[in-house]
Amino acid sequence: MGVKKFIKSVKKFLNLENFEAEGKKKSVKGLLQQLNKRKQTLKKQLELELEKKVKKELKEDLEIVSLEIKKGKAILYKLYAKKRKEK
Amino acid sequence: MLRKILLPTILILLAYGFWISPDFKEIAAGVAIFLFGMLTLEEGFKAFSGGTLEKILQKSTDKLSKSISFGFVATAIMQSSSLVSVLTISFIGAGLIGLTQGVGIILGANIGTTTGAWLMAGFGLKVNIASYAMPMLAFGIILIFQKTKSLKGIGYVLAGLGFLFLGIHYMKDGFEAFKASIDLSSFAVDGFKGLLIFIGIGLLATVVMQSSHATIVLILAALSVHQITYENALALTIGANIGTTITAVIGSLSSNIDGKRLAGAHLIFNLVTAFVAIILINQIMYTVDIISDAIGIASDNHTLKLAVFDSLFKIMGVLMFLPFVDKLVNFLHRIFKEDTTKSNAGFESARFLNNSALELPSTSMASIVSETRHLYENAMEIIIHGLNLKRHNIFSSMPLDEVIHDAYAHEPINIDEYYNKKIKGIYGEIIDFATKAQANMSPNDIEVLYKLKLANRDLVEAVKDTKHLQKNLVKYTKSSNVHIKEQYDKITKDLAELLRDLDIVANAQEVDVRLTLLSKAKVHTEKYDILANGTLDNLIRNSLISNEMATSLMNDTAYAYDISSNLISMAQRMFLMSEVGEEISFNQDDISEILTKER
Repeated sequence: MGVKKFIKSVKKFLNLENFEAEGKKKSVKGLLQQLNKRKQTLKKQLELELEKKVKKELKEDLEIVSLEIKKGKAILYKLYAKKRKEK
Repeated sequence: MLRKILLPTILILLAYGFWISPDFKEIAAGVAIFLFGMLTLEEGFKAFSGGTLEKILQKSTDKLSKSISFGFVATAIMQSSSLVSVLTISFIGAGLIGLTQGVGIILGANIGTTTGAWLMAGFGLKVNIASYAMPMLAFGIILIFQKTKSLKGIGYVLAGLGFLFLGIHYMKDGFEAFKASIDLSSFAVDGFKGLLIFIGIGLLATVVMQSSHATIVLILAALSVHQITYENALALTIGANIGTTITAVIGSLSSNIDGKRLAGAHLIFNLVTAFVAIILINQIMYTVDIISDAIGIASDNHTLKLAVFDSLFKIMGVLMFLPFVDKLVNFLHRIFKEDTTKSNAGFESARFLNNSALELPSTSMASIVSETRHLYENAMEIIIHGLNLKRHNIFSSMPLDEVIHDAYAHEPINIDEYYNKKIKGIYGEIIDFATKAQANMSPNDIEVLYKLKLANRDLVEAVKDTKHLQKNLVKYTKSSNVHIKEQYDKITKDLAELLRDLDIVANAQEVDVRLTLLSKAKVHTEKYDILANGTLDNLIRNSLISNEMATSLMNDTAYAYDISSNLISMAQRMFLMSEVGEEISFNQDDISEILTKER
């Protein structure tokens, strides 16, 4: 068995192959969870009777958060796709 | 001067010793190999200092008891109190831990060094230690030649331990052979006189070898073959403990103020402990006998009894000092004062950048982060006052319409003067320090460092842009023309909002809060373009402002845009350092998408 093959099998055995990607996936998931929570809060606030100016600001916040969630999900899909490809 | 004389003297004495006695050669070689082992071991542990060690240190030093425990465990594992001291000084220098915690670590490290005596007395002298050394050296050297940092680190640790063991073996053999030719025990001196003489010898040996650990191992090797008496060995141990502080003091002469304070703490602690030990030597010896009996150490097993003495005397010192750590820290702050000659003239210099932090990539990085934060605080102050606003208003929940009408001063502040005093020097020091630091950094660290350098540049640019904006801003916010006043009030209000948001970004723990506020700030900044949004056209077409006012407004909105952009990009580089945060953060397309929806 060559050295490279040996290192690869050890990495596989210890589940170290996607160590970096797994870490990134975990932080994206955590961030998405926080952003989703924030989105729900904003939605609830928007249901209340508010001044026009405040409502406009909240709407802007909601749009920003929604776009951030969209971007986060895209990163997550990419990471999953990469993992599938490697398998 | 002393060093110039000391080195040739030591070399001549050694050469003479080698000439008259081949056994002395073996002992000296043993000490040399042992010291080389310590250096190798330190090198090995430094390889692991890229994160784990620092994380443990940061988490385990929030309380004094934890700091002491950390000092003990780290020294026991690494078998080097000097490496722990170096790490501690660099961490204090980087602002990651305070002097109190540092003193705690040093106290713990003192107890940690006793494990060396236990290992030597309990294991090193009883087995053929060289047989363990050989495979360690062979495996260690192979691993040192590997490219992977961690494997290299393991290699250095193994080789270091191998050399330590080999050194002990040679010292032990040397003393055994030495006994046949010269009986050193015939030079034993009894009583108080002997105590003082051997304390002096122990002190001198430690200063020469730069390691109390090596001295104690040497004492144990000599004691195991009865070349020195038990009483004299105790005195040598006390001497070694004083000698190690002299090494630390000499080392701290080229160090920064924190290094000097820590060396001061070390010196005071060891001197006082040694003094108490000399006074209470009989009582301590009696206690050692009781403890030895209790744990089953034979009354004639002097090597293990010496280990008991070493532990007892150091633990006693720590217990004695525990109630006075805060007082000791205050005393050290009073004795070693920062150089205030420059800051007295109003010129601020770097707080966290010092050569001790350059020891490790992680501490140098932490220093740069802390110093950038310092520069950020100063820049924020200048920008806020430059806009003629009050800091506490910005960082409060006061409505922004009120914030912009509560002026900081009647006259505009001199931004150039503030820049020279609070920005220029620190910025220069950061760049200089970063250049030195990156020599020991990995490519990933260098990338992070580059972003930090850019963040610093952004701050400097933002301050410079504020200077350009200030002149007209102060003039037109007091103008009788309500239309131009309204425009400049709007610029001030938008910038005040950004500064308030940045303060939240700088202090928020949650990534989502930082991310969303920065994205929002990016969107708002794009709204500055008064040419695109038609505001300027409207003002000119209806002759609401003069041509001069129009030109100023156009230039100043550009400055406001630059200030915002620089501050946002600084905040993104500084407070959103994670790869994920950066990827999700808004780019130009995202900003356009939000703006299109709003229109």
